[in-house]
Amino acid sequence: MRKIIVSVAAIAAVATLSFSGTAALAAKCPIKIGGLAPLSAPGAVGGGEAMRDAMLFAERDINAAGGVLGCDVKVVIADTEGLPEKASAIMEKLITQDGVVAVGGAYHSSVGVASKDVANNRKIPVVFAETWNDTITGDKQKYIFRIAPLSSWASATLWKAALLVPNIKKVAILTENTDYGIPAAEETTRGLKSGGVEAVTFGVDIGTQDYSGIVERIKAGKPDYIIVLATGEAGYNFAQQAADAGIGPQDIPFQAGQVALESKAWWENVPDGNMAFVQRIGTPVNLWNKKALKLNEDYKAKTGKGAIESYALEAYDSISILAQAINEAESTDGAKIVEALENISHEGTLGRIYFPYGTKKDPSADGKGDEWWHQWPDPAMTMIQYQKEGQNSTESPIVWPDAYKTGPAIYVKK
Amino acid sequence: MEFPNIFWGVIGWMIFWAVVGSVITRRLYLHKDLDTSNAAFVGSMLGAAMGPIGLAALWLKTPELTNRLLVWPAVGAVTLIAAAFAFADPSNNCVANGSFVASQISNGIILGIIYGFMALGLTLIFSILGIVSFAHGEFYMIGGMVAYFVTTVWFPGIYPIVGILAACLVTFALGAAFERMFLTPMYDGKIERPVEYGILVTFGLAFTLQYFIQATVGANPVKARRFFDFPRLRLPTAEDPWLIKTSRGNMELFDTISISNPRFVAAVACVLVLLALLYFLHRTWTGKALRAVSLDREAAAIAGINPDRMNMLAFALGGMIAALAGSLLVQAFSWLPQVGAIPAMRSFVIVVLGGLGSLPGAFLGGIIVGLVEATGTGCVPDAQKAASYIPAYGMIVLTLTLLLRPTGLFGRRFSGGAHGKF
Repeated sequence: MRKIIVSVAAIAAVATLSFSGTAALAAKCPIKIGGLAPLSAPGAVGGGEAMRDAMLFAERDINAAGGVLGCDVKVVIADTEGLPEKASAIMEKLITQDGVVAVGGAYHSSVGVASKDVANNRKIPVVFAETWNDTITGDKQKYIFRIAPLSSWASATLWKAALLVPNIKKVAILTENTDYGIPAAEETTRGLKSGGVEAVTFGVDIGTQDYSGIVERIKAGKPDYIIVLATGEAGYNFAQQAADAGIGPQDIPFQAGQVALESKAWWENVPDGNMAFVQRIGTPVNLWNKKALKLNEDYKAKTGKGAIESYALEAYDSISILAQAINEAESTDGAKIVEALENISHEGTLGRIYFPYGTKKDPSADGKGDEWWHQWPDPAMTMIQYQKEGQNSTESPIVWPDAYKTGPAIYVKK
Repeated sequence: MEFPNIFWGVIGWMIFWAVVGSVITRRLYLHKDLDTSNAAFVGSMLGAAMGPIGLAALWLKTPELTNRLLVWPAVGAVTLIAAAFAFADPSNNCVANGSFVASQISNGIILGIIYGFMALGLTLIFSILGIVSFAHGEFYMIGGMVAYFVTTVWFPGIYPIVGILAACLVTFALGAAFERMFLTPMYDGKIERPVEYGILVTFGLAFTLQYFIQATVGANPVKARRFFDFPRLRLPTAEDPWLIKTSRGNMELFDTISISNPRFVAAVACVLVLLALLYFLHRTWTGKALRAVSLDREAAAIAGINPDRMNMLAFALGGMIAALAGSLLVQAFSWLPQVGAIPAMRSFVIVVLGGLGSLPGAFLGGIIVGLVEATGTGCVPDAQKAASYIPAYGMIVLTLTLLLRPTGLFGRRFSGGAHGKF
């Protein structure tokens, strides 16, 4: 009898161990990764759809390469609508109902700011793809990573490019009242002031349609340059209404919002949008690696667009870097994925992605600010300019900085 | 603002005497057994505009509160606010830049015409059916979508009027079908709370339409091409076009007022359709029947008018008016399934401000809201906040109006059976 009991116990122990070992390696198949994207207004739907498509391509490529921990990966797409209140709820749902082990994507800063606490409290790693607000990584949360640039870096692109406009003295900034727009406007204003240029900021709520009053006010101020920090259809509405009133991209130097990178939508919504400057995040097309070029071809074939947008590349990388981290962690445990991410060297479409600062090394050790925590330090930032009607944003010349420049800027002046 | 103490001091003074005037005037008129319906409004406006002097005269004479007494103190109060603002912030564009003021006023009027036009549909539905249609914004959205698809996707280059007419036809049919299928239970006593039912069922329609369009068309912003470009005009001479100067997308009058092409087209079309609507309501049998039902359903039925048929017509016509506004504005704004939310909310403000069920009230309310929004956006000294408060400007006017005149500008004091009058 004793022998039988010992044998049964031994078999049970072996079975338990083998099950737990398998669980450590394979977890529950398929392994689910959340993918945040704005797919409804007032979010930037064009950007959201591009990110969604790219994240699904990432899922396809990961599974084609053997999946993760012996399982297929499933990217669970969640619509944030670009709204912070929605973002928290969506993050909660992804974690508690869908059972994701990590989350990638996200476009709007306000979404990142609102949802990061939920993920961090529930110990689920997040790699934010396109959320710029400095505090997202600046709060030094263990489970939060970012491959998008910091807002302060992105703003530097804006004001440094603006200071190159001939005889510039006065700038009008139209910004959305969000976690992206407000700090970006403040940082841009500070930068312009350091160059002796006055800036006036006009705030609008996300989703505003009619800008006639504000356009007249900007016009009365006679600015030498206009900077738009508005996502979603607001960026289109303002640009075309400004053009109708004679202060559009063909009238004075005009930096459009990032939604202008969606070329097809830009030309449909802003037919008078030629000569607009647009900030572009990500490696210039002429420097794309094989992975980016391959993804670009697949993306063009699927969407019918002229080329893949930079935030779609970021979204793709945010998922594929998480897959690599889960593989290297050999676990779906959040803390182990974080450890793997802190040590990762990922060859993504944006280039080599790594995180030099985190629990191993605090940013302060190198005299860096807290916002460098879990932050990829090398995203490329450029300023392009549409110089032909109907042009694709990836074919438009890069006019700044000199390191990436492919053509001279044209500064219009009535 | 250079001298904020002046401005806020005057505002404080006005509020104090407005409150005193509102409370005491009403009590005094009540005490003397006079009509009190406008007493609070006149007392507050007179107090705000003329302080104790005006109020003393009013209280001593307690005259009949005619329309003149309603209008002039209100104009005086607005003038006093403007004067205080001019003294407090002399370098503000709204004070120092006449061209800017003219542009903002023209902008406000043009926007107000469009707002008012859209609100007409809502008030038409309310005055006949007695319900507030929460699907009004979705009719506006569908109007724009139909016009976009007809003029830009399916038949590019076709006359824009075809797209506009298609939008009207589709939404009229949709409104009529919806009314027949879902609103008829309200009329025959099958529903215990018909008004609440009407609100909820239109709310359901709004969601259905919005998500149906999102599922079928997508959520990316689309936009129709300008319906037509302005011809190039330089008057009186090409060298000095001080009278009128046009480019493809813009018109400049007197070297000061700037009007964009899509808004100009939309506003002119709205005025023309409004005139046609007035003709329809006042000169045709069907229009008169609609007005009769809005005044008294039972009496209209006795006179041989079928009120149920008028219900269907009113709902379809109301939705069509919103769609018409949408089809005219799809060349001005980027269009999404959610595009109707803000205009619908604004329409609710306008119809309550103008008086539920009143067509002139809706139109005047629209212009008032348009002007207040333009003034707020243009004049609030803090540029960062001026446009952020756009939704609040209309709400402030609405709150004040409801506080002092709960029936709105042209609303009926008592509603018996019908829900308004045109």
